[in-house]
Formats: sequence, C-alpha cells, structure tokens
Amino acid sequence: MVDGATAGLFLDAAGMKALGAAIAIAITGYASAIAEKDIGTAAIGAMAENEGLFGKGLILTVIPETIVIFGLVVALLINQ
Amino acid sequence: MSRPKEMTRAVIVGHKSILKETIDALHDTNLFHVEDFVEDESGFKISKPFKNAEEVSKKLVKIRSIANYLGIESKKPVVQKSDAVLRELDSKLNELDRTISTKTESISQLENELKDMESQKREILPYLSIDLDFDYYRGYESLKVFAGTLKSNLEASQISSITQAYELYFDPQSKAVVLFVAKNDADKVYELLQGLGFKELRVPERGGVPSELLRSIEQREADVTRRIESLKGEIESLKTRYADFILASDEVLSIESQKAELPLRIATSENAFIIDGWTPTEDYDKLVSVVNNATNGKAYITSLEVHHEEEENVPVEYNNSKVVAPLQQVMDLYSRPKYFEIDPSSAIFITFPLIYGMILGDIGYALILGTIALAIKKAMKSDAVSDLMNILIYCQIWSIIFGIIYGEFLGFSLASAHTAHGITAGLIPGWETITLFESIGGEEFTFPIHRSHMVMTMIGLSVFVGLIHLNLGFLFGFSNIARHHGMKHAILEKGSWMIIELGVLLAAVGYFGGSALMYVGAIVLVLGVAMLAMGEGIAGVVELPSLMGNALSYARIIAVGLSSIYIAGTVNDIVFGMIWTDHSKIGFTAIAAIIVFILGHGLNTILSIIAPGLHALRLQYVEFFGKFYQGGGRKFNPFGYIRKYTEE
Repeated sequence: MVDGATAGLFLDAAGMKALGAAIAIAITGYASAIAEKDIGTAAIGAMAENEGLFGKGLILTVIPETIVIFGLVVALLINQ
Repeated sequence: MSRPKEMTRAVIVGHKSILKETIDALHDTNLFHVEDFVEDESGFKISKPFKNAEEVSKKLVKIRSIANYLGIESKKPVVQKSDAVLRELDSKLNELDRTISTKTESISQLENELKDMESQKREILPYLSIDLDFDYYRGYESLKVFAGTLKSNLEASQISSITQAYELYFDPQSKAVVLFVAKNDADKVYELLQGLGFKELRVPERGGVPSELLRSIEQREADVTRRIESLKGEIESLKTRYADFILASDEVLSIESQKAELPLRIATSENAFIIDGWTPTEDYDKLVSVVNNATNGKAYITSLEVHHEEEENVPVEYNNSKVVAPLQQVMDLYSRPKYFEIDPSSAIFITFPLIYGMILGDIGYALILGTIALAIKKAMKSDAVSDLMNILIYCQIWSIIFGIIYGEFLGFSLASAHTAHGITAGLIPGWETITLFESIGGEEFTFPIHRSHMVMTMIGLSVFVGLIHLNLGFLFGFSNIARHHGMKHAILEKGSWMIIELGVLLAAVGYFGGSALMYVGAIVLVLGVAMLAMGEGIAGVVELPSLMGNALSYARIIAVGLSSIYIAGTVNDIVFGMIWTDHSKIGFTAIAAIIVFILGHGLNTILSIIAPGLHALRLQYVEFFGKFYQGGGRKFNPFGYIRKYTEE
C-alpha cells in the first residue's frame, strides 16, 4: 500500500484513505444528527398531544438516517 | 395477501318499547359497531339515556375511587355470576364505603394526635435536664420566672452580684436556663440575661416533671402508631377480601353504563328508534337471528349496500391467522389499513423478522433474547405484552437461521476464517470456511459468511434484498390501485416503476457486457419514465432518485450488523486480553474479565433489540409502506364488552 509515488502531502495513501473515510462518516453522521434533532423534538411534541402519532413520529425522525448510510457506503467504497 | 374483514352495513329499526331488549342483545353479541348519529334536518333526535344511567355512573365512580384507594390491580379472574354481583352490589358497596370511611377517618384523627404529641415533645425537650415540675413555673406574685436558652455560660456569681434572692437552674450542655428572681430585680437581671443572648421559651401548660412527661408522651405515641398500623392492616385485609367483588362489580357496572348510554348515540323519533352500524359480513346472519330472538321478531333489520365512496369510512377489522396476528400491533403502531387496502400484516410477518435476523445474525444473542422473551411471555398474562414477545420470538428464529449462515456466536466466529494474515481458528473445531465463488470487489463468497471480511458483497446482497422488498411494495400498490381505480392507473402508477427498474437492469447488464442490450435498456427506461409521468405527473418523475435512495437505504442491514459485531468483538478482545495477562492463576483479573464479559454482552444484548428492531421497522414503515400503503382506517369497535370477571 505504501508507495512513494502515491504518497500524499502529509500522509501515505492508506492514511489519506482512512482519513477520507472518517470524514465521510463523521460529517454525514453529524448532518443526520442535526436533521433528526429537529424532527425528533417536533415528533415528541406531537406525541405529547396524541400518543397515536408514535409510528408516524418514528418514521419521520429516522428519515434523515439515509444520509449517514450514504456516508457509510462512500466510506466503504473509499476503503475498497 | 389478506384484506380486512368484509363488512356489512346494517340498520335496525323498531318501536321504542323494544329498545332495551335490542340493546341488550346487541351488547351480548359484541359484533355490532354502532355509528354515532349526528342530528340533522331529518327530524330524528338522539334519545335520552336510560333511567338507571345516573345511578349506575354514580356507583361506578364510587367503586373506582375505592379501587383506586385500595390499589386494586387486575389479577387472575375469579368468574362470578353477574346477576349475583348485581344483587349484592348495593349492600356490599355501602358496607365497604362505610367501613373504609370510618377507618380512614380514625386514621386521620390518630395522625393528628401524633402531630400534637410531636409538638408537645418539642416544647418539653429544652427543659429535660432541669428536673422541676412545670407547675412551679407559674402562679407567683412577687417572683419573676425567666425560662429559655442562652448563647453563653451563666455563672451564679453574675446573678449574685445583682441580687441574693434568686434560684437558678442552668444546664451548661443545652444552655437551658430557669431563673427565679424577685420582681424588683427583674429588670436588671433581664438586662444581664439579654447580654448573654437570652431567648425566652414557652413553658408547657401541663404540669409535671419534664422527664416523666416525655416518657408518657412517647408511650402514647407508640400506642397511637400501633393503632394506625393495625387500621392500615385492616384496610389491607379489606383489599384482599373485596378485590374480587370490586373487579366484578366494576365490570358489571361498566356494562350497565354502556347499555344505558347507547340511546345518546342513536336516532330516535317519538316512538321509534334506528340503530345504524357495521358488522362483519360473516356474522350478519347471527346478528339478525340474535336480535329477532330477543325481540320476538319485532325489530326490523336490513343490510345496506356500501357505495364506493363510503369505503373510506368503513371500520376495519383485521382478518389474519393467529400466527400473523401479533404483527397487527406493528401495523397499529403505524396506522390501521383502510377498508379497501391490502393489509400487509402477513407480508411483514416474513419481512420484518427476516430483516431483523439479517441484521443481528448471531446465535448467542438470539438464544438469550429468545429465552427472555419466552420467560416474559410466561410471566405476563397481558395480550399486548404477549404479542410483542411473539414478535421478538419470530425475530430470534430468523436470527438463529442467519446466525448459522454467518457462523456467529456472541461475536465469536464459529468456523475458521482464511484471511490475508493466515487462518484464524473458529469456536467449533473442524468447521472450515468453504470458498464458494469469486464475488464483487475482489472478495470471496464463503460459507459461513464472514460479514466483516466481505463488506462489499454484503452491501450488494442487502440492496438486492431491498429491491425485492420494494418490488413487493410496488406489487401491493399495483393491486390496491387496480382494485380501486382500474388496471390502467395501476400500470401507469406502479407498473412504471418496475419497468424503470427493468430498464436500469438491462442497461447495466448491457454496459458491463458491452452488448447492444444497453440501448434496449435505455429505451425501456425512457418508456418507464414516460409512463410514470403520465401516471403521476411531474411529481412522479421528481421522485425518481428516491428509488436509488430507498434501495441504498437497505445497506443499513450490513452496517448495523457490523456495528453489533464490532461491539461484541471488542468485548471479547478485552476479556481475552485480561485473561492472557494473568493466565497462570485464577485471580482478580480473571474475575474482572468475567464481569466485563457479562456486562459487555449484556449491553450488546439490549442494543440487539433496539438497533436491529428499529432499523428493520423503519425499512418496513418508510421504504416498504411508502410504495403502497395509505393507512388511517377506523378501528372496528363493536358495541359490547369482553367479560373477564363475570358471566351471565
């Protein structure tokens, strides 16, 4: 893996790959968290009014999770 | 695929003289969902509740408040005859009410006494060290008595410098002081005392020596406490004695109150009544015969035709086998299907536990969770809990199946693994990993599947499972629309998606194979998009990328699974590390290792319900249901009561 020609500025190629994967996961995870925070707050507010909304609230809350799944796929592809 | 139970709209008409019989019969069958009547210009009005309604609800309130006070919980029912309960109800209820109120009254009286004695004690305590009867503190003409506490010590010489006529009691420990002086010197002495931080205390009104008084109060206190305890014990024994009666009469009264208040929900004129509602079609004949029997054929019952546009409001009753029934809880959590929709309970009976199993896929955790679920199911009698536990058990069955496919047990690999770094032995000696064929991304497809070594293959497989799941959703949607709006709409709205998928598949095969199939695929794709645009308009075309998003979303199956493996693997590594540092003797580290092992896997077991459960659920709710499901059906809520503690 470590090859002078492919070495990056600070790290070798493997290191850059690992860093790239980490960034992909970290930022998408953070993005999901921000999105879910807002939706989750609203969903809990709605549930306080009507408990029957649990199912809908759960669904709406987990929708942004797809963002981090994409991040994960990208991270795995980088490490391929 | 099952649909909700077929319903028939039934209307019962009769003279008011048979209203009571009709209501009793309907209530007993527990098959008729009453539509509430809304007053309109037809001239019909809702009726008044039966005469006994007020009395029944009064008793119901009383019995519930007693049940609440005694803390009565539902328990294994002792079935009683309901007319026997009704006969005894008044006398028993009054007796119970009277006993409880006298007992609670005396308890509160005694508690007040306790509080009194507490304050008396507080008054006496400062004087405890001064052995002087309180009667000596008062009733003097020429003497002044100072009784209280000081901040600093008082010497007898300080008083004697003012006057010789004094009597001093002082306790240097509690700094309590009682001083008798002649009235003439009182002012000067008071000044002196104030300089020492004198604080006057009230002298208890009762006579007697403090220490004796205290002893007698404490004796009385113990006595009163004992009496309160015994009263509370008596109330507790009332609870055991009357629990069956309270539960049974609550049930009987609830039934009476339901019946008595039904006239508020139906249409009546001067002399006639109309009850409008729904009954499962299969039970319609039974309903007719029951009502006819009860009223000697005086009531007129007929079924009405259900119009297309009325189907929105038909109450929905599931129509599933006993095995699938627990999944109805999962459906209700989201939303009950509409009457004209496919009820996907039997589909998620397979897909939900299957995806859960694919995510968890560990024999060890599956066995632990399965055992816990069975135990809880045994211990708890509630239907809702037992349904949930059944779902958990279904999930664990699939987890065991996938656990065998993955060869995993509590994060350990059961079979030996061949990696670039050599061969790692598995937990079961002699179980060798077999390489089946080359897979994508330069990975080898093996049995058992080592998930952490073939991530790309597993992502591909997960997405493939996802596509099957999504297409099942499209098929359901197709069937729903075909039934409701006709075949043409179904093909345009849902069929187009499948044609688009086919186009992409052909194009991909053509692209990688370098054949002309690519162009065929492209044409099919364009055709599909055009059909979609016709079916759903521009909104459908805008939705196109969501297909990719939905399919990729299934990558979470491997992603969440891997996280569980890594947690389990980390726990195992830590434990083995600890044991290996100290393998010569069984000492502290070995015990610590066992604790870490239990705690770590305990945590991961809990996570093994939450993470795979929520993600599997989300794949049903968002990805699968999004393709066809509307929901929002009304619950079929028959007029009646499921008796637990009484019988006719």
